[in-house]
Amino acid sequence: MFEIENTLFTIVMFSYLASMLLYFFYIAIKKETLSKVAFAVQLFGFVLHTAAIICRGIGAGRLPLTNQYEFATSFAWGLCLLSLIFIFRNRFYVMGAFVSPVTFLLIGYAAMQSKEVRSLMPALRSNWLGIHVSTAILAYGAFGVAFVLGIIFLLRDKLSARGFLDQHIPNKEKLDLIEYRSVSLGILFLSFTIITGAIWAERAWGSYWSWDPKETWSLITWLIYAVYLHLRVRRGYQGKGAAIFAVVGFICVLFTYVGVNTFIPGLHSYG
Amino acid sequence: MKESLRKVLKFISSMRFAIILLLVLVFACVIGSLIPQGYSYSYYYSAYSERLAAIILALNLDSVFHSWWFVLITAFLVLNLLLCNIIRLPSLIKRTKAYTSPVNLPNSFPKAGETIEGVYKGDIQSFFKTLGMKSSSGSDRHYAHKNVIGVWGAWICHIGVLLLILGYSLGQMTYKEYTVYGVPGEMKRIGDTSLVLSIDDFEIGLREDDTVEQYTAVITVYNLEQGTEGRTAVISVNNPADLYGLRFYQNSTGWAATVSVDKEGAFLQESVVCSGDYLVVSDNEDLVIYFNAFYPDYVLIQGYGPATRSSGLNNPAYLYSVYYKGRILGMNVLLKDEVLTIDDYTVHFTEPQNYTLIQIKKDSFTFLAFIGGLVIMAGLFLAFYVQVSAVEAVECEDGSWKITATCKKSNMAFKNKLNEVLTSEPKGEENNV
Repeated sequence: MFEIENTLFTIVMFSYLASMLLYFFYIAIKKETLSKVAFAVQLFGFVLHTAAIICRGIGAGRLPLTNQYEFATSFAWGLCLLSLIFIFRNRFYVMGAFVSPVTFLLIGYAAMQSKEVRSLMPALRSNWLGIHVSTAILAYGAFGVAFVLGIIFLLRDKLSARGFLDQHIPNKEKLDLIEYRSVSLGILFLSFTIITGAIWAERAWGSYWSWDPKETWSLITWLIYAVYLHLRVRRGYQGKGAAIFAVVGFICVLFTYVGVNTFIPGLHSYG
Repeated sequence: MKESLRKVLKFISSMRFAIILLLVLVFACVIGSLIPQGYSYSYYYSAYSERLAAIILALNLDSVFHSWWFVLITAFLVLNLLLCNIIRLPSLIKRTKAYTSPVNLPNSFPKAGETIEGVYKGDIQSFFKTLGMKSSSGSDRHYAHKNVIGVWGAWICHIGVLLLILGYSLGQMTYKEYTVYGVPGEMKRIGDTSLVLSIDDFEIGLREDDTVEQYTAVITVYNLEQGTEGRTAVISVNNPADLYGLRFYQNSTGWAATVSVDKEGAFLQESVVCSGDYLVVSDNEDLVIYFNAFYPDYVLIQGYGPATRSSGLNNPAYLYSVYYKGRILGMNVLLKDEVLTIDDYTVHFTEPQNYTLIQIKKDSFTFLAFIGGLVIMAGLFLAFYVQVSAVEAVECEDGSWKITATCKKSNMAFKNKLNEVLTSEPKGEENNV
């Protein structure tokens, strides 16, 4: 089963790389059909990615959400899923050129991690694991989409100097709205992640909040997006101010995931 | 004076102040996560420069989340949320009333979000039905609203945050925590309570690859005030048990050994000592045997020190220290069948076994914090996905209907549906004008 997973994972990496290049060519050559092909290749990669994760789950005999590799590949999967939904719903294929490099970097980071399947420590043997981590993946994916939209928003004036992009990137108001919808989804899932994590921690360690670095950084991320939501309803801060926080928020997400595990030891050191 | 107080209250309840507080909290949390928390003073002086260590300790940066200034920021946030919600309450009630029972239409039509206008020429009942709305019937004026509760989303979310902070704060002020450790067969008093914990059994479940699958303890708790009848429970990691109003957690484990002391060849004392614990020699309290660590499969690694090759009891070894009048006399490793001799005393370490560490907690306000969390979720869901919309239809002289609708800018689904209905051909010739 792990051999199948490895093969699928390699194809997924190449699919994401191909879709990224196709999105770039789409913008460079300005050929509409390329955007559809890029999207199709991304979708193909996503389907195989799903299969690879399922294979790992079957091979490991548990949910594949417990170490750096498994979370990184799931993170990339979540981002890919959310970006496919947002691209398709808004027919906003240019977004693919911005989101696919992030997806590719994440899957690349996953490829650098150890794929060894380790037995679960007793604290991780909980039904809460699946709920807690899967909602975190969806939250991170939604924030990844918001990050990309924030970048596009901030670059829109420069990008719109090119006629093609001006026609294919929604206006700032719509961008802001899509970004808001993405953050809304993300913060809802993040809240759920934090709450389920707290319930699990209470059962495993006897304390639902211990100011563990991972907990603290997830709170920091939540607070950053809370600022984002408040800024959006204040006059003068919509658009640009909110977009900056969408970008900063995702940097916090990345630090929560990679930085905390790498630099700060704590209860979540395993994943 | 009244004016300045009003200004202060206005600022404290403002969104600007809320944003400032959130950002300050972010900054405090970053500091708290980067500087190791809760260590001794000497740690900071060894880990940082003298000046930086002094700053860390002076500003309570070694205990950010329990510092007075962190509590103060949180208190301001509570005040801000409380005032904000109190101030917003009348306007929200007014808005809700405006949506649910509009009078003098269209002047009182709520226009909090985006307004869409158009003309519809079909059957007005089917128009509202298509939008998933039920209109209040009238001859020449119809009105319908949907998801009015969505107006309360942010307000409910704030209530959730307040409940969560309240639950956490009360819990921090009132919680009780005890730790009991021992080997099967031991009975220990739980702190200052009238309860006694008996460790009936303790088992470490191992997998084939020698990794730990689960730690399971069987415990019985006796209440000395209620007789000798005890309550028994099986606890394991992730599966605590509630007994006598306390929650018992299987927290961790370690090694224990039976330490016996002979004096001049005659038995003096014997007891089970856990690693990290000590034994005071009964007839010479100045002499203390400290049990540092146990290695089930001992190996001495050059440049590293004592270690264990596996968890199997293949080559048991006991690392111990001897103290006399508080001063360390020596530290060494005892292998199986070896004894420690100190003047007339002979010390034996035997029968290595696992001990269990059981954490016992009582936090009566955990439920409040979790309710707060759920209320936050509900508030966010209402704010983002239960979006209020209202539609008014006024019949024109030519028989068509002038449509005025309102919804949040982000309510794309409603806007799209409405535009779709307004631009579509009405069904049935009889509805055409």
